[in-house]
Amino acid sequence: MKTAGQNISTAEETKNVITASIAGASMGLLYAYGFEFGMGIGLVVGGLFGAAIGFRISRRPPNMRYPMALLRRTLMAATFLLLTSFAYSYLLDQGLSQTQQKWAALLPTLGWAVLVVSIGMAIASLDELQRRIQTEAIAIGFAGTAIFVGGYALFQFAGLAEVNVGLVLLVMSLMLLLGKFWTLWRYR
Amino acid sequence: MKNRLKVLRAERNWSQAKLADELDVSRQTINAIERGKYDPSLPLAFKMAKLFGSTIEEIFTPDAET
Repeated sequence: MKTAGQNISTAEETKNVITASIAGASMGLLYAYGFEFGMGIGLVVGGLFGAAIGFRISRRPPNMRYPMALLRRTLMAATFLLLTSFAYSYLLDQGLSQTQQKWAALLPTLGWAVLVVSIGMAIASLDELQRRIQTEAIAIGFAGTAIFVGGYALFQFAGLAEVNVGLVLLVMSLMLLLGKFWTLWRYR
Repeated sequence: MKNRLKVLRAERNWSQAKLADELDVSRQTINAIERGKYDPSLPLAFKMAKLFGSTIEEIFTPDAET
């Protein structure tokens, strides 16, 4: 399988640009719907943004052993997550019954599951040190998030804060990033 | 764990990238092993020994003899 470190053929570059532009268009669609600024504009701007990223990845591939096919699969999984999130937002505005709303609310969970599996597959394709770096970063991210959520819950029990899922997700991402930097520094 | 990877690589005039290609790992992994920041798995150590035509003991030595 061709890796990101090698020269990329025109066919592969086209695939990268198409996949990235579809992901970008999905993101644009979601943003346009959420911020109410016209879905056409969202699709076009998002698609162009995605195409630019796909072009950039193909011309100057990241210095990793990720096979391009896995990178595209992860992008497709992210597209699926964005589309399920869009479907969730759209359906909840359609005056569904309470049971239907519950099913609609579960839709993005499917997207998250697909994204997690594809990231897991990408990590499994790395070499042993890179896999260790990713695994340790996830472990640090998990432990850090657990400590934060524990403290946050205590604040909530004391009536000092309301749990905000967005903040928890943000902290989780930051902890993961912190874990990644720490392990990269450790094995530099 | 100490190792002679850098010396063996230099004897062959190979870059880290070339060695990484030969062993099917990233350059980052070779760099970490050479600097003693990371000890490779047994399969990778065997692969290195085979590539350099030596034994694992000739490439890797423990930090302190017990």
